[in-house]
Amino acid sequence: MGSDRLSNQIRRLRLDNGQMTQQELADKVNVTRQTIIAIESGKYAPSLPLAFRIAQTFGVPIENVFQYENED
Amino acid sequence: MNKLQKSAWINLAVIILCMMIFLPCFLFMAIMNTKGLVYVLVCIVITVFLSPVIYIIHKKKGFEAGLDEREKTIYKRAFTISAYGLAAFLGFACFIPFFILGGQSLIKLYYLPLIFMATLFTAQFIHSSAILIQCALEAEDG
Repeated sequence: MGSDRLSNQIRRLRLDNGQMTQQELADKVNVTRQTIIAIESGKYAPSLPLAFRIAQTFGVPIENVFQYENED
Repeated sequence: MNKLQKSAWINLAVIILCMMIFLPCFLFMAIMNTKGLVYVLVCIVITVFLSPVIYIIHKKKGFEAGLDEREKTIYKRAFTISAYGLAAFLGFACFIPFFILGGQSLIKLYYLPLIFMATLFTAQFIHSSAILIQCALEAEDG
């Protein structure tokens, strides 16, 4: 069984949305800034509801924010 | 520093303070060989110095509701680690004297409440430390 990896475009999307800060995004999706940092750096995989909230904040489909890679 | 980390630091401070106050008091009474009704005093001392720990444990139930999902994961993982730590500590505390002294030897009775208290403190100590370590590992701004 291969290893699963979840990459994301949050940093790029933040910068594309008027240089949104990590704190601003955290406030919009109702988590702490540390959680956004952990998600951006790939250290924490968010739950589905949180992933959808992040995508909704940027106004893009969820697959534009998170990409799933299975290295078989 | 987020709410979870603050709570863990406060928890650690309270636990260390409790240990520093409780252990000398208890050992003093044990060495003085207090018995019978005088042990009511011991119970009062234990209750007084155990109260902050009990308060922390109860406070956490409401406290957990204010955490986000990652913090809850960290909190639950720390709880699991502390449960393993508790079991390991209890195992060592019970088996080491047995292996060292042998099955026919006797130990002082004050060793029993000391095991109980030390196990309680150790579990809380590991829980707080595990929270702080996990937060520190994820703290790097990537």
